Amino acid sequence: MIRLIDVHKSFGNQEVLKGINLHVKEGEKLVIIGPSGSGKSTLIRLMNYLEEPTSGQVYVHTHLMSHNRRAFINKIHSAMVFQQFNLYPHLTVMDNLTLGPRKLKKVPKREAEEIAMHYLKRVKLEHKANVYPTTLSGGQQQRIAIARALTMQNRVLLFDEPTSALDPEMVQEVLDVMIGLSKEKNFTMVVVTHEMGFAREVADRVIFLDGGVILEEGTPEHFFKNPQNERCKAFLGKIIR
Amino acid sequence: MTELQASLLMLSNGGLMSYFFKGVAFTIIIAIIAIVIGFVFGSVLALVRNYCVSGPQRILKWLAVAYIEVFRNTPLMLWIFICLVSFPVPSIPVAWAEAIALSTTEVQLLFKSIVALVLFTSSVMAEIIRGGLNSVDKGQFEAGYSQGFTFVQVLLYIVLPQTIRAIVPTMLSQIITTIKDTSYIANIAYIEFLGRVFRMIQLAPMYTGQPTQNVSDVFVLCGLACAIYFTINFAISLLVRSLQKRQKTVRVAYAAE
Ligand SMILES: Nc1ncnc2c1ncn2[C@@H]1O[C@H](COP(=O)(O)OP(=O)(O)OP(=O)(O)O)[C@@H](O)[C@H]1O
Ligand SMILES: [Mg+2]
Repeated sequence: MIRLIDVHKSFGNQEVLKGINLHVKEGEKLVIIGPSGSGKSTLIRLMNYLEEPTSGQVYVHTHLMSHNRRAFINKIHSAMVFQQFNLYPHLTVMDNLTLGPRKLKKVPKREAEEIAMHYLKRVKLEHKANVYPTTLSGGQQQRIAIARALTMQNRVLLFDEPTSALDPEMVQEVLDVMIGLSKEKNFTMVVVTHEMGFAREVADRVIFLDGGVILEEGTPEHFFKNPQNERCKAFLGKIIR
Repeated sequence: MTELQASLLMLSNGGLMSYFFKGVAFTIIIAIIAIVIGFVFGSVLALVRNYCVSGPQRILKWLAVAYIEVFRNTPLMLWIFICLVSFPVPSIPVAWAEAIALSTTEVQLLFKSIVALVLFTSSVMAEIIRGGLNSVDKGQFEAGYSQGFTFVQVLLYIVLPQTIRAIVPTMLSQIITTIKDTSYIANIAYIEFLGRVFRMIQLAPMYTGQPTQNVSDVFVLCGLACAIYFTINFAISLLVRSLQKRQKTVRVAYAAE
């Protein structure tokens, strides 16, 4: 579904990704872990071209990504959930959810609102349809952001540390929604997270990124039972209490 | 008859008052056109300065930067002088001018005044708009791109609506400033109403029957000018404030649901 071929990415003269080859299969649930600054965000953001590679190719489905094709490809293939939610503050929750479908997919208003309502129920926030996002708690905002991603009805869902900006008591409500989504075979999910419990429960595959390369990859069992790479071991030792 | 009474007599002079109120109309017309064009042009400048940052488009950016910085950092009075004295205006057929009940000189003066004000106002508005654009979190662009919006769509549906909300108060004071700025034209020409007030003060003895100009002439005519500026500008503030309040109550009503 997503294929990165020898992707390099530099910011100025700092090379953040140093040749990544990665194939995310259709329906796969991939978790990306790694220390701060290791390039996790950069990697996931390459998948919808929020970052453009310095060299190498990104394929989504059968399309080769490019600056000019980004809008078209994202519109029909992927959606992203951000650490900082990034809801549209000038729009009500309902309008946040219907803007994309209405403007990009030309879904009639009525129908778009029905779809939106369906996903709002799914994240258990149907009673918040007409409020503005800023009136909601972080956990609620993130669930709305997930619902917004879902209303695009695309197969690929990208999550960049969706629970890192949340107060601890709100983390679980968001993870629960994501766990629910992971049960659906249709969705290809790529998740950057430090939530190891989530990774263990949901991931088909985990990759450990450090220094701009994938140092270790495998099933969650492999990771948590006998990781090979020393840095990976050290990292896991630090975050699994 | 006291001096004050003599001065007040001018206010009941029909010809004089129609000369004055025509000036008020000119002020309003100059201000409205300058504000509208200044806003549109300023928006273009702001967008170019902010977003034409890569490749050959950068030339446009530098042009916008140069324009904004030149006009923002030089006095409006200078540009009004230059434009009114020497801005080339195509000669206007008398018939056209008559069609809007003006003389060709008036039309030319209007045109030059508007040009001068637009030069300056657009540069100031560009910076206000740019401030608004920059106040929008860059996560908003990313959210839009991740949904599949193009750059222009993100601006249109997501960033500009937030920008406009953010700049309303500053824009309002700039609009009021621009209305007051029309008065600089009074130094060069008698077209807008403050210029006409100065003219009336000069010629006051003709209308008051007094041997000389009196302080009361200044007091009465400038008082009138004051009242007019105040009425126009205060009305605008009230209008914008009530619009803002209405928008807020709508939001609060929603939030309470
Ligand atoms: N737009 C940018 N300009 C310059 N440097 C950047 C930019 N984005 C990221 N970097 C740098 O690239 C490196 C990797 O950043 P990235 O955000 O991908 O790390 P991360 O693994 O997501 O870290 P975190 O866990 O803190 O989110 C960091 O050193 C960061 O400073
Ligand atoms: Mg990150």
